[in-house]
Amino acid sequence: MFKNRFSSDFFFIYAVTFLLALAILLPILVILFGSCVNTSFLGISSEQWVGGGDGFITMKWYRYVLGLYGSSMLFSLKIAFMTVIACLLVGVPGSYVLASKPFFGSRLIEELVLLPLSVPGIVMSIALIQAYGRLRGHWWFLLAGHLVYTIPFMVRSITNTLRSFDIGRLELAAQNLGAGFWQRLWLVVLPNLRHAMIIGCLLVFAISWGEFNVSFLLNTPLNQTYPAALYGTYTSNSFQVSSAATAIFLLGLLPVLIAIQWLGGDDLVKIEQGS
Amino acid sequence: MKHKYLVFPLTLTVFFLLIWPSASLFLKSFQFAGPALFNYGQLVLDPVFRTALAHSLLLSFGVAMGSILLCLGPAWLFARKEFHGKRLLRSLFTLPMSFSGIIIGFIVVLMLGRIGFLPQMLERCFHHAWFSGLAYRFGGLLLAYLYFEIPRATLTLESSLRKFDFQLEAAARSLGANRWQRLAYVVFPLITPALFSAFAVTFCVSLGSFGVALIVSKRFFIAACGTLSAIDRLS
Repeated sequence: MFKNRFSSDFFFIYAVTFLLALAILLPILVILFGSCVNTSFLGISSEQWVGGGDGFITMKWYRYVLGLYGSSMLFSLKIAFMTVIACLLVGVPGSYVLASKPFFGSRLIEELVLLPLSVPGIVMSIALIQAYGRLRGHWWFLLAGHLVYTIPFMVRSITNTLRSFDIGRLELAAQNLGAGFWQRLWLVVLPNLRHAMIIGCLLVFAISWGEFNVSFLLNTPLNQTYPAALYGTYTSNSFQVSSAATAIFLLGLLPVLIAIQWLGGDDLVKIEQGS
Repeated sequence: MKHKYLVFPLTLTVFFLLIWPSASLFLKSFQFAGPALFNYGQLVLDPVFRTALAHSLLLSFGVAMGSILLCLGPAWLFARKEFHGKRLLRSLFTLPMSFSGIIIGFIVVLMLGRIGFLPQMLERCFHHAWFSGLAYRFGGLLLAYLYFEIPRATLTLESSLRKFDFQLEAAARSLGANRWQRLAYVVFPLITPALFSAFAVTFCVSLGSFGVALIVSKRFFIAACGTLSAIDRLS
């Protein structure tokens, strides 16, 4: 096996990886640290770092954040779930047709679907407000903005899977054995897509939960997503509150990401390639 | 095929949410008492916009260069080696990609602001707060975007490196090339396209991301922020 013997095994590769991993991990640890540990015990003498409350670990800031921003958390969750459902309903049949039964213009549609990956969020939200200005402030307009940015991931996940194994032959076999179109869809196609759909749903959820660029302009004070509320804490509150709010955000994000990595594998690498 | 209509929801979504808004935005940009390039002229003449654009380009260029240099190592590792905990390490590396820009901004202020974590720790050890306030200067912005781009660069490079034919390298070794010669004459020319594509992706994404700059930049006005303030002025 060529794998390990002939590679350019520079020690510096391991060093860089280790240092980068450390650099990525450190801020997260600091945030968790700042949000619940009472730092006056450690003698860090700056007003910003002194945690209120007694005891070494305090949950006071989490309670404060939940009380203040609980509603926007719920709103974000609702939007994320609805984005997932919308993506499934719109994306799965569409990508099935695009991948397995191409027609004139289907490549174009597919490229257009993947276009938002290269367009900055702020540009898209400006375009949407420009085109449908009166709708600004409705929650489903926000959903539309999220949809634009999450559908590419769902579509790409499904089309990659469909193209990686020859769905046409499986369907033909089923058709030979007498299955009608809907039977084929339900009993042959969808079970094979299950893995891709789960990954797609997780990705869509993670993206929608963290989506800020589009939401920033499409939000209203009535309907605020959680990342926009986070922005509020960063610009007006103490580090403790911001850390707690960020920690909660990460709490919603990390399980999804870990699940994606666990289930993922090679398909994921192709999806994650970005624009 | 009979059931092609299944693609209609997707097509309608693409049209109404993507094509129509973009087209109308594009057309409106030319409107000023009849079709004209006046609006573009206004923009180019505005010095604030020009500096903002210059800063954006410089920043994105720096970030793209930095990220491909840094991420080549981890990408190589992920593409070539299997080891215990690889999945965990990979999850860690892809984590910052899912942070929205404002969180990155918060992180960089937390770590490198005037009373950030690093200056504080360095003060306790060396009695001088190095890097204090770096978050609000160009260097801090660069580091923030770099944090954000590391996962993307790593993944792009990794998927390109997976296609790399290791037998070429083995052949070079059997012909007597040592490590450095292999690196310079075999490996590097072959991965250059991968480096270019990672550079392009990283450059474009940093150019469009405004969440970080929103939290951090007080003196450095980035193009995306300029756009935002222009909208606020208009609406």
